[in-house]
Amino acid sequence: MISILGTLGVFIAVVGSAFLGVRGFTALARREDESGRWLKWPVLALLGGSLLAMFSLEAGLLADDFSVSYIANNSATTTPFLYKVASAWAALEGSIVLWGLVLAGFVFFVWRAHSRQQGVDALGAGALGVLGVVSLFFFVVMLTISNPFEVCTASSGFGCADTSILPWTTSVAAQEGFGPNPLLQNHPLMAIHPPMLYLGYVGLTVPFAFAISALLLGQSGDEWLRRSRSWTRIAWVFLTAGIVLGGLWSYEVLGWGGYWAWDPVENASFMPWLLATAFLHSSAVQIRRGVLQAWNFVLVIAAFGLTILGTFLTRSGVIVSVHSFTQSAIGPALLWFLMLILVGSLGLFAMRAHLVSSSPRLDSLSSREGVFLVNNLLLVLFAFVVLLGTLYPMIIEAVSGDTVGVGRPFYDKVAIPISFLLILAMGIGPFTPYRSASPKVVWERIKYPLLFGLGVGALLVSLGQRNGWIVLLGLLSGFIIGLAVRQLWTQSKRSADKKGRKLAPEMVRTMRSDPSYWGGQIAHIGVAVLALGIAISSNLASETVVELSPGESDSFDGYTLVYVEPFQRVEENRTVTGARMDIYRSESKITTLEPRLNQYKASRQSVASPAVNTGLRGDLYLSLASIDSQSVTLEVYSFPLIWLVWVGGFLAASGGVFAWLVKPAAKPVRREEASADA
Amino acid sequence: MPENMRRWLVLALMAVFAVVIVAGIAVGEETETDRVQSLGSRIKCPVCQGEAIADSPSETARAMMEIVAERVADGQTDQEIVEYFTERYGNGVSLDPPFSGRTLVLWLLPFVAAGFGIVMILGRRRKFSDDEMAEPDGAS
Repeated sequence: MISILGTLGVFIAVVGSAFLGVRGFTALARREDESGRWLKWPVLALLGGSLLAMFSLEAGLLADDFSVSYIANNSATTTPFLYKVASAWAALEGSIVLWGLVLAGFVFFVWRAHSRQQGVDALGAGALGVLGVVSLFFFVVMLTISNPFEVCTASSGFGCADTSILPWTTSVAAQEGFGPNPLLQNHPLMAIHPPMLYLGYVGLTVPFAFAISALLLGQSGDEWLRRSRSWTRIAWVFLTAGIVLGGLWSYEVLGWGGYWAWDPVENASFMPWLLATAFLHSSAVQIRRGVLQAWNFVLVIAAFGLTILGTFLTRSGVIVSVHSFTQSAIGPALLWFLMLILVGSLGLFAMRAHLVSSSPRLDSLSSREGVFLVNNLLLVLFAFVVLLGTLYPMIIEAVSGDTVGVGRPFYDKVAIPISFLLILAMGIGPFTPYRSASPKVVWERIKYPLLFGLGVGALLVSLGQRNGWIVLLGLLSGFIIGLAVRQLWTQSKRSADKKGRKLAPEMVRTMRSDPSYWGGQIAHIGVAVLALGIAISSNLASETVVELSPGESDSFDGYTLVYVEPFQRVEENRTVTGARMDIYRSESKITTLEPRLNQYKASRQSVASPAVNTGLRGDLYLSLASIDSQSVTLEVYSFPLIWLVWVGGFLAASGGVFAWLVKPAAKPVRREEASADA
Repeated sequence: MPENMRRWLVLALMAVFAVVIVAGIAVGEETETDRVQSLGSRIKCPVCQGEAIADSPSETARAMMEIVAERVADGQTDQEIVEYFTERYGNGVSLDPPFSGRTLVLWLLPFVAAGFGIVMILGRRRKFSDDEMAEPDGAS
C-alpha cells in the first residue's frame, strides 16, 4: 500500500516536472503565460506528487510497514517517534525524497511570485522550465535507481534481503527492521539539521534557473539579478543555519569536542556557501554600479554545479567520510547530470556572453567596489582551495594508485590566511568611502573600534593564546564588531538629536531604513563573533583523561569532578550505560553530568553521548571512554567561550533573515552613498 | 572628562594592549602538550573514516596518540615522528601533505589561482582608467 501510494506520488511528480519543463520553455519562447495560468497544473502536480511521496514514506515509517525495503532497513518498531520521522532522511533513498519535496516547494513559491508579476513574465516562465528539468532528473532517479519505495521480496526476519522496484509485487514483510544508523538516532538535531541544509542546498537551484532563463532570453540588466539575489539570500540563510547546526550536532555527538573536520560532506556544503556569499556581495555591486554582470552568471552557475558535485562526491561512495552512509548506482547518474549542467550552461553562457557582458566601469581599487572585488576573489579562492583539497587525494589515487592524505593541517594553512584577509576586507569595506576621506575623519571612525579590537587581542594573549595569526584574527573581529556598532550608534545619535527622539528606538529605525545593508552588517558581526569563537576555543582548549572509582574525585581547570555512581537503563531501542558525575566549582555544586555509552540493537559498536555543561566562561565536556564496575575512564575537555561559535553562526543567519523579511521603512539613504552617487 | 585627556587615554590604552599582544606572542613557546596535539591532528586514524588521531575516540587512535606523546617526550623531531607512522601505515596516513613530490602541485595551485585572480582584477582596473581618461569628469 505504502509502496503503491509513494510510487504514485513520485510518478505524478515526474509527469508534473516533465510538463513544467516543456511548458516553461514554450512559454519563454512564445512570451506567454500571463498570471502563471499555463504552468499552474504542472507546478501543482509536482508539489502534490512530492508531498504524497513524503507523506507515504513518513506514514510507512510511523506504521512500521516493513514490507517496504527502505523502512525495514532503516527503522525499527522500537525506534522512538522523533527518529522514525527523521529516518525519512537517514539514508540515501529517503534523503532524495526530502530533496525532491524541498525542490518542489521552491518551485511552488517561484511560481507564485511569477504569477503575481505584471504582464508577461518570460524570465520567470523560463526559470520554472529549468526547475522542471532539474526536478525531472531527481524524480526519475527516485523512481528508478534510488527508489525508497522498493518492495521487500525476501527477508530472513531482520531487515530486507531482496527487493523489487514494481510496487504491485507481492511483498514479504520483515518481522523487525534494522533501525537507523546509531550515529543518526543519537541526537534530536538529526531531525532539523538535514532539512535546514537541504533548504539551503536545493534553494541554490532557483538562482541558477533564473540565470539560465536570462541567458536563454539574452536578457541583460538587473531583473534576473534582483530575483536571483533574493532567492539566494533565502537559500543562504538556511545553508548558514544548516551548516552551524551540523557543527553543533557533531560537537554534541561525536565525542571529541570538534565541530568542523574538513570532512568531504562539510566541504560540499561549505563551497556553495562561499560562492553564494560571493554572489550576495557582487550582485550588490552590479545593482548599484552595473558592473560584474558576466561574473555574476558564472558565480550562480558554479554554486549550483558545486551542489551537484558535492552530492556526487558524498553519495557515490568515491570518498569515505562519516556522512557517506550508503553507496549506490546514483553516482554515475549524478556525474552525467553534472556534465550536462556544466557543458549546457557554460556553452550557453559562451554563446550569450556578448549580450550580457557589462560595460567596464569601475572606480579605483581603493573604492568600495574595489574591496568588493577583492572579497569576491578571496571567497572564490577559498572555495577553490577547499575543492582542491577534497578532490586531490582522489585524483592522485586514480592516476597513480598512491594514497595521499589531505586533512586539517592543509586546510588550516591555507584557510586561516584567506579567512584573515576576508575579515580584513570585511573591516575595510563598510567604511571605505566612494571618495577619499581625510585622515582625521578616518581616525575618528576607527578610533574606538580599533581600541576594542586591540583589547580583544590583548585579552586573547593574556588567556594564553600564542598563535600570532589567531590573535590577529581576534583583533580584527573585535575591530569589525566595533565598526558596525559605532556606525549604528553615531548615525542614530545624529538623527535622534536632530529630531529629538530617544536613541534606542532610533537605532531600530536606522536599521529598518535599509534592511539589506544592516542585515549585511548583522551578518558581518556574526561572522566576526564566529571567528572569535573559533580563535578562542580552538587553541585554548584543555584536555585530560581521568580514571575514577565511585566516590573518588579529581579536579580539572577549576572544576571538581566527583564520580557518584555508575548507572544503566534499558530502553526500548538501546541500552544506556553511564556515569553520574557531580560537578563543583569553588565549593558549590553547579550540575550533575551523565556521560553515556549507548548500545543500539542491531549494531555492534556502541555510540557515546558526551555530556556538556555550558556556562558563560565556556563548556565543560565529558566523554565516556570506558566503564566497568570498578572504575570509569573519562575524557574531559574544557572549551572556553565556545558558545561564541554557535551565537556567531546564528547571528550571521539572522542577518540574512533581517534582510529577507524586513521591508524598508523609508527610502534607504546612507550618508556615504548619498554623497558618492551625487 | 576633557576631550584632550580622553584622547590620551585612548592612545595609552591602545599602546598597552599592543605591548601585551606583541610581548605575549614574542615569548610564546609551544609546550609539549601543544606539540602532541598538533602532531595528532596531522596523522590520520587508519581505522576511522577521515578523522585525525587527535580527533578520534577509537582505541587505535588513542594508542597512536600515546606513541606520539612518548616520542615527543623522548625529544624526537616532528619529522621523525611523522615518518615513524608513514613507514608503518603508508603515505596516506599523513594528513599534512608535504611540500614536495606528488603534493607539490596541491600547494602551488592556490598561489597560481590567487595570482590569476589578481591579474584579472588589475587587468580590469587598467581598462577603467583608460575609460576615465576618455571621460575626464567620470573620475570623481
